[in-house]
Amino acid sequence: MADEHAPHAPQPEHHAPAAPSAPPAASGPAAPAHSGSPGGMGGPRPQGPRPGGPAKRGKRSFVRKKKVCRFCVDKVDYIDYKKSDVLASFIQERGKILPRRMTGTCARHQRWLTVAIKRAQNIALLPFAAEL
Amino acid sequence: MAEERQYDLIFICRPDTPEPDIDKIVSTLEHAAAEKGARIEKTDKWGRKRMAYRVSRLREGFYVFMDLRSSHGEVVKELERRLKVSDAVIKYMTIRVDEELKRQEKLKKHRERRAARRPRKTVSAPSQGGEQAAQSF
Repeated sequence: MADEHAPHAPQPEHHAPAAPSAPPAASGPAAPAHSGSPGGMGGPRPQGPRPGGPAKRGKRSFVRKKKVCRFCVDKVDYIDYKKSDVLASFIQERGKILPRRMTGTCARHQRWLTVAIKRAQNIALLPFAAEL
Repeated sequence: MAEERQYDLIFICRPDTPEPDIDKIVSTLEHAAAEKGARIEKTDKWGRKRMAYRVSRLREGFYVFMDLRSSHGEVVKELERRLKVSDAVIKYMTIRVDEELKRQEKLKKHRERRAARRPRKTVSAPSQGGEQAAQSF
């Protein structure tokens, strides 16, 4: 009892009576299923929201710029399907509509944007698919 | 009487259509609209534009935009029928826009109201924070 208590000193602080049972202590650090991840210990845990802060030294550090909705910045209340030059910047080369995660457009404006793009496509202002 | 609806009517003519012919189409549409109790608020000739894809094996087209006001949708059917039988017209589209413009109006008003209110809010906010901090001590 006493010798078991010593190694787990920091843990049982709040759970003193349950301390004698060893298994919980073992399962503690390995709770999330480490399915064959090499070097599971010490590795950065991808859990939780990770701000684009400084990455580990030596590894490639991604400085992720925060994308903001262009329409929100300009305070746009109506996306005009006739302005094909604006809409053209939200489609891919092949004519696909760019997803929100690429452009940073907010959900509401993306909804309006898709409608505007589809209208522009119908009247041949924008392509349905790029011609080759 | 239902309230007035607003439509955007766009049609594309063959690029080799002489200008007088396009004017003729526009005037016949205006007459047809007037007969049905609607009116064309404005007509805007965008001119020859390159189309995003080929229509009737043509790469270019002469775009004409119209702003149509009507209290009922019957007139759209009539105008589209006329565009369909017209040989010079290769493509047309009519869409109802009044609801979206109304929404835009509403959002704009809402934004202005909030902008008008904000200055007072920002002035009062710091003093409140100060009071709370003082109370907590």
